[in-house]
Amino acid sequence: MVEGTVKVVNFLGLHARAAGQLVRLAGNFRSRIILEREDGRAEADGRSMLSLLMLAASKDTVLKISVEGDDETEAFEAVVSLLENGFGEK
Amino acid sequence: MAENRVGAVIVSHGQLANELLVAAETVIGDLKNIAAVSIGWHDDVEAAKEAIDRAIKSVSQGAGVLLVTDMFGGTPTNISAMFLADGEVEIVTGVNLPMVVKIATHSEGSTLGELAREVEEQGKQSIYRTAALLEPAKAK
Repeated sequence: MVEGTVKVVNFLGLHARAAGQLVRLAGNFRSRIILEREDGRAEADGRSMLSLLMLAASKDTVLKISVEGDDETEAFEAVVSLLENGFGEK
Repeated sequence: MAENRVGAVIVSHGQLANELLVAAETVIGDLKNIAAVSIGWHDDVEAAKEAIDRAIKSVSQGAGVLLVTDMFGGTPTNISAMFLADGEVEIVTGVNLPMVVKIATHSEGSTLGELAREVEEQGKQSIYRTAALLEPAKAK
């Protein structure tokens, strides 16, 4: 399992289209991808858009990312990179 | 079990159905198994029935079709009810965007009955008094 934290940097936070991007990205990997709020109030499956939205992750929210599976390293890096790049937004 | 995917048609008054589908596609991407029928306020019943019939045929892959309508008791639901058929066509009313997302992302193995139950549940669960969710301590 690969674990780490990442901060939501884009102004709109983890909104619907951003969550959609994350789900599409997660679909490229076989590993299980779990995102959890650092404060422990919500946890989401990277493949479920509706659960991602329930993280209510606004800008500056820190998320714990856990990835487990045979392509976990690549999947983890891809998810972190998408978030760090603010989903291509400001 | 079902190798083919369950299809779905959003049926509403006005342009609501089309716009719900556009919103879901904006978020998720192209949705080939979902169609939308917006029934004009002045359309006659036969024309609306034919439009729903065409939409059902366009998304049907042999695994059944779920009709999601705007409001129980309204004309779109009442006309949709003419198509109810056990194992072939089911209806869930009160469509909202999370329900359309649920339909769009459901696993390929689910049957029509399973999807109908999941979509009904998702619709109910997706309504939140947001202040209570974001700041549980403050909400009363």
